Amino acid sequence: MIDMRDVSKVYENGAMALDHVNVHIDKGEFVFIVGASGAGKSTFIRMLFREVLPSEGSLVVNGQDVIHMEHSDVPFLRRGLGVIFQDYRLLPDKTVTENVAFAMQVIEAPRRKIQHSVNAVLDIVGLRDKYKCFPSQLSGGEQQRVAIARAIVNHPALVIADEPTGNLDPETSWDIMDIFKRINADGTTIVMATHDKDIVDAMKRRVIAIEDGHIVRDEAQGAYGYEN
Amino acid sequence: MKISTSEYIVRETMISLKRNSWMSFASIGTVAVSLFVLGMFLILVVNMNRMVASLESQVEISVYIRDEVSDSGIHALEERITQMQGVESVKYIDRETAMKRFRERLGDQQFLLDSLGETNPLPNSFEVRILRPDMVRTAAETIAEMPGVETAKYGQDVVEHLFDITRLVRLFGLALMFVLAMATLFIISNTIRLTVFARRKEIAIMKYVGATDWFIRWPFLLEGIVLGCLGGIVAAIVLRGAYRVIAAKIYDTLAFFPLLPENPFLHYVTAAILICGMFVGALGSTISLKKFLKA
Repeated sequence: MIDMRDVSKVYENGAMALDHVNVHIDKGEFVFIVGASGAGKSTFIRMLFREVLPSEGSLVVNGQDVIHMEHSDVPFLRRGLGVIFQDYRLLPDKTVTENVAFAMQVIEAPRRKIQHSVNAVLDIVGLRDKYKCFPSQLSGGEQQRVAIARAIVNHPALVIADEPTGNLDPETSWDIMDIFKRINADGTTIVMATHDKDIVDAMKRRVIAIEDGHIVRDEAQGAYGYEN
Repeated sequence: MKISTSEYIVRETMISLKRNSWMSFASIGTVAVSLFVLGMFLILVVNMNRMVASLESQVEISVYIRDEVSDSGIHALEERITQMQGVESVKYIDRETAMKRFRERLGDQQFLLDSLGETNPLPNSFEVRILRPDMVRTAAETIAEMPGVETAKYGQDVVEHLFDITRLVRLFGLALMFVLAMATLFIISNTIRLTVFARRKEIAIMKYVGATDWFIRWPFLLEGIVLGCLGGIVAAIVLRGAYRVIAAKIYDTLAFFPLLPENPFLHYVTAAILICGMFVGALGSTISLKKFLKA
């Protein structure tokens, strides 16, 4: 699913965010990316959907060469991915249904299919009864569930989550993790950057630790490994 | 493009025009003023070109005869000119007839000639009609060389003068149009920039979920085109009205000025204005979107 070889990223200001990183992630894996702020986690995550372009090395995501692709092919790379952020990034003047449907509208899905898929995906995240609400009427956990629904409505092969529980209390975080587990059980690959020690330790999934732009640890059933 | 997508684009455009109604209004106004000026110069230049052409096609040469030439000399000259190639007819106008005509043309301002008393400063002349416009110049030059001929004039002075004026108008118009086009482009791209800014989060999300650049671009492009087009419509309406009024005035006072009739000329001008408006609008929004779509 992800094949990263000798990838480095040097920003324009000269800062080296990643230094010759090699990572291979298979289809169906659930991987945590951990590390202190500024260690290169965010750069790693954002490279996967080509918001950041590697300075050197090779990167293949979902079968597509991220580095050498044409600008016009980027949307098609992203259609195979679902992206979730810490701050949800919902559209405030659209309802829950509209926010989720938006992801299908912009890739020009047929209207009937949109209706069907949105309902199905709201069932998965447990928000069917709040479909008419606006984001401001929802709790943080509910908003994040809308964001997850939007990320998976187009059936992506890979879901990329950047601190998805960063703004949520522990209990709500677990609800969110349950949803991710279910999505992963259906065969979707999940890559999640997180600071949440309890979650990482309890899930016992693969953990990749990044420090100063290097991968310092990559364990199949790892733990967070840092003191919070 | 799918129907649902077209609906989406049209809806988004309308929302955005409404949201920035004041800025939209300002844009339409600027476009209208610029296009009005453009249309004015277009009309002016086309009409002047036409006037030049109509003067050039005049196939008459006025030949002024020296005062000392005798009647028989005049007769010989007439004979000679008549036999020239390309000459259709030669009409002799003696100085008395010329004076009479002149008085008639002055109408109620004949008193201007009173100070001349009995003296008649006008020369005897021929009116020489030539078969084809392209033969006029050589014919006039040949006649001017003949003994006893003072000058042989056709429309050339006026034509050359008009050419100069037309060139100047065209140059000035182009410069003014360039400045106005820049101003229009600036204000339209600023209006669109406001829209883009208001919707930057939406654009970011669209990009994350895999919308193509064109899908993102269309509503903004349409907004620019609508602004340009509305400005063009305003300009065209005002221009058509103005042309009607001015044309009527010119017919009253300067009947010899061959102004182009309204139809189909004004239709062409209207079409040109609308196309320019839409083009400037589209260009303006493309400029403001460029930065947003690059990343």
